[in-house]
Amino acid sequence: MRFIDSTNFERLLKKLSGEGELFVPVLDEDSQKNHFERVEAFPLPEGTNFEGFRAVETLKGFAQLVRSMVARYPTEGMDEMDVAELLPTFVIVGAKACDVRAMQLVDKVQVEGEFTDPFYKARRDKMIIIASDCTEAGETCFCNLLGSNPWPESGFDLSISKVNGGYLLETGSDRGKAIEEENKDLFTDPREGQEKSRDEIRMTVLAGLKATNRDYPSGDKVTEPLREALSDPLWHDEAARCLECGACTNICPTCYCFLLFDQKDESGEGYKRIMSWDSCQVTGYARMAGMGNPRPRLSDRVKHRLYHKYDYLVLSHGEIFCTGCGRCIDACSASIDMREVFGRVTKAAK
Amino acid sequence: MNNPYYPIDTVLEDVITETPTIKTFCLKPVRPVKFKSGQFMQLTVPGVGEAPFTPSSDPNITEKMEITILKTGKVTDALHELKPGAKVGLRGPFGKGYPLEKLEGKEVVVVGGGVGLAPMRSLLYGLFDDPSKYKRISIKFGAREPAELCFKRQYNEWVNLSPNIDLTTTIDIPHPEWDGKVGLVTTLLDDLDINIAESYALSCGPEIMLKFVTLKLLEVGYKPPQIYLSMNRKMSCGMGKCGRCNVGHYYLCVDGPDMCYDKIKHVPNVFG
Repeated sequence: MRFIDSTNFERLLKKLSGEGELFVPVLDEDSQKNHFERVEAFPLPEGTNFEGFRAVETLKGFAQLVRSMVARYPTEGMDEMDVAELLPTFVIVGAKACDVRAMQLVDKVQVEGEFTDPFYKARRDKMIIIASDCTEAGETCFCNLLGSNPWPESGFDLSISKVNGGYLLETGSDRGKAIEEENKDLFTDPREGQEKSRDEIRMTVLAGLKATNRDYPSGDKVTEPLREALSDPLWHDEAARCLECGACTNICPTCYCFLLFDQKDESGEGYKRIMSWDSCQVTGYARMAGMGNPRPRLSDRVKHRLYHKYDYLVLSHGEIFCTGCGRCIDACSASIDMREVFGRVTKAAK
Repeated sequence: MNNPYYPIDTVLEDVITETPTIKTFCLKPVRPVKFKSGQFMQLTVPGVGEAPFTPSSDPNITEKMEITILKTGKVTDALHELKPGAKVGLRGPFGKGYPLEKLEGKEVVVVGGGVGLAPMRSLLYGLFDDPSKYKRISIKFGAREPAELCFKRQYNEWVNLSPNIDLTTTIDIPHPEWDGKVGLVTTLLDDLDINIAESYALSCGPEIMLKFVTLKLLEVGYKPPQIYLSMNRKMSCGMGKCGRCNVGHYYLCVDGPDMCYDKIKHVPNVFG
C-alpha cells in the first residue's frame, strides 16, 4: 500500500491523460449526484469528486456502447479493421465497488466462454480503472445485501481510499503495478494511523448501509426462494405497477442484452450492422416472425428479468448479476424497489 | 480481426418453390461452411436484416447449403422476392445440433409439422449417413393441406434407402386431392408400433404443435429425457449474449436450438 497526496494524485492523472481519455466523477450541485465527465484540460473540473457514492452512469456504457457499428457489408472496412488499434486508452477514475464488480460480471458473458465479443473486449482491454471507496451510502444503495462492501476489493487497476491530505493507494492488476512503478516518485509510504483511519471510514459507511437496509432480506439468498415463487401472483402485482419503460435494464450495470439491426449506409450501396442496448422488458424483445412471443405478458417479462439476474445467471455463470448499486430503484418511475421485491419473494416462498 | 457479426458473402444460386408459402434457397457461400444437423445459420438479406434458420440440406455438403423458409416476416418476405444471382450473407453455424450419437442403436421417431420439416430434413440426412446405426427411423410429417407438405418429391427416395425407414404423413383438414390420413400430426403418434423404452422422439414445428406433440409423446409413454424439441425462437447474436432466446437459464442459440424436454420442462412459457 502507498500514499499519494492530492497534488501528486492530480499529477498522476495528468500523466495518465496523456495516454488517452480521462473520465472523472463530477458532483452535480442540483442533484448532489456524481456524473462521469471527460477531462478536457487540467486542473481537474470544478466539482471533481472521488468521494460520495457511485455515479449516475454505469461503467458498462464505456465497454458496450449504447449504439455502435459492428459490421459493414459488403466487405470494405469492418471485417479487417482492428478495433483495438483505433481505440484510445481510457482511464476511469472514481469507479465504486458495485460498478467494478459489475464489469467483472459482464466480462464473464462478453469475454469468457466459447464466444468473445471483440468490440467489448477491445474496449475493456483499453480501460484503466482507478476505483475509489464510497465515503457515504446513497439511500438506494444495497450492496451489503448482496454480500459486498462499499469499497473495491478486486477488478481494478488502482484503488484509492480518501485519508487526510490524500489517498491510500492499492494496486489490483499488473497494469496497476506498472503505473505505480512508473510513477514511484509521486508516492510515499503511508503514515502511521492512515490505514486505521481508512478502515474506520469504511466501517462507518458500511454501518450506514446496514442501517438503511436493515428491514430488507439478503439479496444473495434470494435464489432459492425465487425458484419456489415461480407461480406466485406477486409477479402480476409487480407488473401492474411497472410502466414497461426499460429504464431499469438500461441503467443496470450488469444488463448486457442488445439488439442487432441493419441499415443502409451513407453511400446507399452497402449497409451497417448496428448493435444497440435493448431491454427484455419491452413487448417486442423476444417476439418472433409470425408474431409468436414467448413472454407476451408484462408479468412474464418482469419475472424474466428477476429470474435472469438472480437465478439463470447463477446457474450458467455461478454469480448473481446484481451488485446492489440501486440505480434501478432510482430510475423506476413506478417506485419499484428491488429490496422490497426480495422481501416479497422471500415471503412468497415461505 | 475475426468479426462474429460479419456475414460470409453468399450467392443465391437457385430457388425451389416447395409450397405456396415455402421456398428452398440454394446458397453458395464464398467459402465452405461446415455444420452439424440441427445447427442454425443467420441469413442476411443486405439492408433488410438477418434471421435464424436451420439448413435443410445435407451437412456433408459444405460448399453449398439449402435453407427452406416460410414467408412470414420482414426478412423472409424480402428473401422470397430474391432471384438467383442475388447476394446474401451467412453467419454461423451456431448451436449444438441434434444429438445423433445418443440416437445410435435406438428407434428414432422424427415428427415435423409445416415448415418444421425443414430442419428435420437436415436431421434425416444426418441419420441417412448410415441408417444401420439406428434400429428404426420413423418419420411423421404433417401439414395443413397437401400443397403445404414439404419435400414430397423425396419421400420415396428416403424410404427406399433402408428397410428400417418408414414415413407417414397427415394433413390437418380433409382435402379433395388427399386420400391419406387426416388430422393433426399427433394422430400419427396414436398407434406407434415401436418399443418406446428404446426410442427417442425429435420434433420441429410451430410451438403450439411442439406442445401437443410433447403431451402426446408423454401420454403414449415417452419420458422427458427421450423427447427433443427444436426450439426455434428469435435468435439474434447466436452467441449467448443478446438475450432474446433465453429459455430458463439456457440460451437456445448456444445450448440448443434442439433441447431435451427434460431440461426445459419447468421453465415458464416453455411453449411460448
